Amino acid sequence: MKRRPVSLAVRLTVSIGAVITVVLLAFGWIIERSINNHFIQQDVDELNSVLQALQHTIATLPDNYDPEALQATFASAISGHHNAQYRISTSTGSVIYSTPGSDLERFAKLSQPVDHIEIDTVGIWQGHDETYRGAVVQVTPDSQTGMQNLTITVATGINFHLHYLESFRNYLRLVTAAAALIAITFTWLAVHQGHAPIRRISREIGRIKSDQLHIRLAPDTVPAELVELARSFNQMLDRLEDVFRRLSDFSGDIAHELRTPITNIRTQTEVALSQARSVDQYQEILYSNLEEYDRMAKMVGDMLFLAQADNKLLKPEFIAIDLEAEIRTLFDYFGAWAEERGVTLEVSGEPARMLGDRLMIRRALSNLLSNAIRHTPEGETVSVRLQGTAATTSGVVKVRIQNPGSAIPAEHLPRIFERFYRPDSSRQRSGEGAGLGLAIAKSIIDAHGGTISATSNDEATVFEISSPGFDCSTQEKSS
Amino acid sequence: MKLLVVEDEIKTGDYLRQGLVESGFVVDLARTGLDGHHLALTGSYDLIILDVMLPDVDGWRIMQSLRDSKSPTPVLFLTARDSVEDRVKGLELGADDYLVKPFAFAELLARVRTLLRRGAAPAANDQMQVANLMLDIPRRRAERNGTRITLTNKEFALLELLVRRQGEVLPRSLIASQVWDMNFDSDTNVIDVAIRRLRAKIDDEYEPKLIHTVRGMGYMLDVNDPTPSR
Repeated sequence: MKRRPVSLAVRLTVSIGAVITVVLLAFGWIIERSINNHFIQQDVDELNSVLQALQHTIATLPDNYDPEALQATFASAISGHHNAQYRISTSTGSVIYSTPGSDLERFAKLSQPVDHIEIDTVGIWQGHDETYRGAVVQVTPDSQTGMQNLTITVATGINFHLHYLESFRNYLRLVTAAAALIAITFTWLAVHQGHAPIRRISREIGRIKSDQLHIRLAPDTVPAELVELARSFNQMLDRLEDVFRRLSDFSGDIAHELRTPITNIRTQTEVALSQARSVDQYQEILYSNLEEYDRMAKMVGDMLFLAQADNKLLKPEFIAIDLEAEIRTLFDYFGAWAEERGVTLEVSGEPARMLGDRLMIRRALSNLLSNAIRHTPEGETVSVRLQGTAATTSGVVKVRIQNPGSAIPAEHLPRIFERFYRPDSSRQRSGEGAGLGLAIAKSIIDAHGGTISATSNDEATVFEISSPGFDCSTQEKSS
Repeated sequence: MKLLVVEDEIKTGDYLRQGLVESGFVVDLARTGLDGHHLALTGSYDLIILDVMLPDVDGWRIMQSLRDSKSPTPVLFLTARDSVEDRVKGLELGADDYLVKPFAFAELLARVRTLLRRGAAPAANDQMQVANLMLDIPRRRAERNGTRITLTNKEFALLELLVRRQGEVLPRSLIASQVWDMNFDSDTNVIDVAIRRLRAKIDDEYEPKLIHTVRGMGYMLDVNDPTPSR
């Protein structure tokens, strides 16, 4: 089973929320880092100033010093740096001075001595109840004093920095979480709000019932993104409305077309039965009825054919058809009839072959030809022109059936292939079929993937069929 | 010739039987699929006319049973649904022909006779004669009362069809199909024109008149006019 795609609102909210959260976290991390760096720099500055003070003290030591005085000198060597601790030892390891209560010996042993105290040369270690940042520096006095190389270890307690950082970090987390939450909530609201036009359109569409197909969405009242949707929906409605109208017209036409012969038969039969008549008269009535039945049966047959075409049930059995041979067969068939009407038939053009159902194509051509012959004045010619695939690059074959005669008015032309459509209302029910011939021709050509069109002017009326051709040079074997 | 008609529609069945009996056939009528099934398998018929839409045992089943029992009896089926699937199914099951309702009785009669004739040895007559009309089939020549009559190819084919099926009413659709290979109804009077022209050549100046119009049904060729009252 296919899963339904995640809702648009959730998708948007989750992705926007994720982006906002990541941005906030990165922002927080940068702030925290820069504050931390700032603290380290402060510590380094302090350590450096302590170191300077000590070096100064060492440089100004008297030549002979006694240890007591030395202790006192170093103890008071610095002031104002009450967090600082230091330890001075000689290269032999004997301690000259160490800040009372400090625990610098372990650190001095573990750390590598450095030349300068900088951000990336200071170290951190954990004392008894305080965390220290410090460094070990080797000092060579300019030695009139005769003192040996000294190792100075300086450190400063950074607990208050760490506490500050800790609480700042917590605060930052809280703010980030709250901001992300607020952002996500507002995003969701905005997205939901943004979908309001979709819901509105959906409600409008939902209100359109089959008897209100004239209702259209107004593309001007929807956001730009939905204009296309509204337009295509309207176009779909156009098509539906058209088909609906045609279908209901069609049913109406069927009722009308059947009502007339049924009325004829019924009236005739009733009148016939109203008094005794001769056998001849009865026979006459039955014959007349038979003709009406025939007409109805043919109409029902034609309508069934069209219904099958509508439901895509026409399944042509494709074989290669030589259109000129077909036209000549039809000329043979219609020949006597045309001659009697004083109409000449002629075919010209190049060889044209197509793949199609022979019976259907013959039926379509027959309907077009009989229509053309019927509307040609006496003494004139119906001419059929064939165009093979060689003449066009598109591989299309064309059959043009042209007859002189009065023009079909322009307003009728587009509807001429509709069922029961007769441009000339006076021709109605003159025994020339029910007006389904052209509709059948069109549905056959449609089923073959071709097109059919009609043009008409004062000189001639032309029906033209275009259909995918069949190139006999490449596929000789099927015929 | 004995026919079996299986048709559940009462009126249709009655008229089919009456029409066929009056055309000279012996007809058994089965009004249910069950009866039809039984009669088709036990009786001996020259042809079976089968409605496929039956309420109990449908026509397909009967046809299947017939073919299973290797019965050679030709079957013509009647259907109200003109769908390709139906036609294909019927012909695949071994039906010999089909007609879609509503059909013209003359059409049914013509098809029945065609099917019945199929088994018989083809009448390979080179010469055919009706009254004083003579047809020379291989040379495609016609003579009336000893006079040579010039006919076009199609006119000769039409005349040959009428003569071969002398005494039968041939519907226009059958004529169009047999002579011109037009297997659909045309809304023109092409056949009437063709017959009129043929008549002008072989009938107008001669007696007896051979080609007769059977109103509402078609044409037939016979020595006697089938409708003497007219």
